[in-house]
Amino acid sequence: MRATLERASPARIGRQTSRPQLVKAGVTAAILLFVLLALPQLMSLYYVDTMTQVAVYSMVTLALGLLVGRVGLVSLGQVAVLAIGAWVAARLLFATSQPYPLVLLEAGLITMVGGVLIGLPALRLRGLYLALITLMFAGAITVVLATVNFPNGGHGFTGYNGSLLHIPPIRRPSIAASDPAYFRYSVIVAILMFALVLAHIKTKPGRAWAAIRQSEPAALAAGINTWLYKLWAFALAAFITGVAGGVLAGAVHYLYSIDFPTQDSITLLAVTLMGGVYSLWGAVIAALLSQFLPALLNNWGVSADWLIILFGLGVLQVLTTAPAGLVDQVPRDLARLGRFLRGRLKPGSTG
Amino acid sequence: MPAWSDFEPFIVSGLALGGVYALSGVGLVVLYRATGVLYLAFGAVGALGALTAWSLGKAGAPGWLTWLVCIAVAAAVTLGYGVIFGPALAKRDPLVKAVATIGLTLILYGAMDLLWTTSGGQARSLTLPTDNGGFSVGQVQVTWTQVIALGAGVVLTVGTGAFLRFTKLGTAMRAMANDREITATLGVPVRKVEAAAWLGCGALAGLAGLLLADLVALDATTLTFLVISSLAAVLIARLRSITVTFVAAIAVGLIHDLLTPITSLSNYRDMTPFVLAAIALLVLSRHQVMTQSREEA
Repeated sequence: MRATLERASPARIGRQTSRPQLVKAGVTAAILLFVLLALPQLMSLYYVDTMTQVAVYSMVTLALGLLVGRVGLVSLGQVAVLAIGAWVAARLLFATSQPYPLVLLEAGLITMVGGVLIGLPALRLRGLYLALITLMFAGAITVVLATVNFPNGGHGFTGYNGSLLHIPPIRRPSIAASDPAYFRYSVIVAILMFALVLAHIKTKPGRAWAAIRQSEPAALAAGINTWLYKLWAFALAAFITGVAGGVLAGAVHYLYSIDFPTQDSITLLAVTLMGGVYSLWGAVIAALLSQFLPALLNNWGVSADWLIILFGLGVLQVLTTAPAGLVDQVPRDLARLGRFLRGRLKPGSTG
Repeated sequence: MPAWSDFEPFIVSGLALGGVYALSGVGLVVLYRATGVLYLAFGAVGALGALTAWSLGKAGAPGWLTWLVCIAVAAAVTLGYGVIFGPALAKRDPLVKAVATIGLTLILYGAMDLLWTTSGGQARSLTLPTDNGGFSVGQVQVTWTQVIALGAGVVLTVGTGAFLRFTKLGTAMRAMANDREITATLGVPVRKVEAAAWLGCGALAGLAGLLLADLVALDATTLTFLVISSLAAVLIARLRSITVTFVAAIAVGLIHDLLTPITSLSNYRDMTPFVLAAIALLVLSRHQVMTQSREEA
């Protein structure tokens, strides 16, 4: 209980930055520089593409983690939102010659409007009902997408032409046409999205969400417009996921509705919980789990089914013993192991 | 608009499908009321049972044995999960309990895909002997399997209603649905009653898996996610009334199949459960009052 209370009050974090915070910021900057500059040089194209997917999905898990961890809303339909973002971006990219960042912004905003329209009535529901209604919406969107199809350069509103012989690929920004360049581009977009969420968490909305997560009636009694802030979280999550969809469209060049099955939303919730929903790094870990591990196993010739089983076990483990996820548990357990080993190695203190 | 005669066969298949959704929904509601767990792995354990039955049948086991094994496997897995994870999560939010069953779903789904590989393999099918016999109503052929599916839905809804009302165990389950703590204080063996609910729900999952494997398809993905249709019915009943669950399940099955001959809507017929559940929930939640019951706290 104490831990959650502490997390619930970011206000206690002072304005002046302390030394551990500086170290933390330095480490983060070093990791980001390494990822942006060195990583694409060190990896084969296969893994560069995989890491682009990781960057895309880190935004999706960021949005889902925001909903689950910060506000306490569980969404079982985030992949459907991603599909909407990808659809809108693909349609805009085929129809117009706008610069890519503008398309990303538009895809995010349009997805956000969609998210708000769905969220507006759904937010009256709470807990389990809200989770299930998002699952229902995701199922419905999957059915619609299977019929409408993703734009492939055709005309009309849907932009789909089933009899097209040569399907043009979805374009990328001119500065990021190659795979390593597009990887860097995706990482930068992801960094911007993480910064956006951080800016929210450190300020008034973050405090309001924390209060809502603790107890909605209490938040209401404290004068927080719970409806507004819940909708805000929904909108922000939809915006980020929509932008991620736009990045995904350029990354894969061709989009198919079969790539966005409803069950992926469920797996996504599993990895997000495993990564840890109370920390932004948890989103990165979740994205690595959901995108990097399958690619690695595929390379080794191991069936991805083992991974699904692992995710299932991970969900049960997280829910029963480690609510803060791997991002919290692994360092704690490592520290414990370190203490244990030190105790063992120190002469005279065995036993 | 197609002629009426085009719809007739779909009324029969829709009622059969609705019957299976109904018995699934009843199982889900009873378990939820007794333990607070919305069992999202319902479809997955049914699929596991059906696939086990298929393997046994292929190995030469007699039909009746494979059906029993199907139900037994689903019941055993469900009971095992309930006994291990039920107490550990008993005091948590219903949402957490439901998400935990997603963990079980993923484990079973991965395991089924490993053991009964779909890629490259031939399509499996599970046929019950009742497929061959039947009768015709007007122009429409009705198989005994379809009759059993609808009949099982009706019988189990009525039977469960009577069970909850008139038996000691059923009364204990209803008491636990109201307040777990007080029920325990009154001397009801809470764990045993919960175990009974898990076992019953698992057996229903096995039965639903068996019937759906015959009526729809024997495929891990399809069967695992068909539970969403029953979930829609359960949601319409607000996880409470088994009568409403039954009516909603029949409506979902019927509307889904009746949309098939209408070409402009045929592609969208899989949306039926989602749309019905969404409308029902949004209408029902109009006058929601914010409360915090002991269950949710």
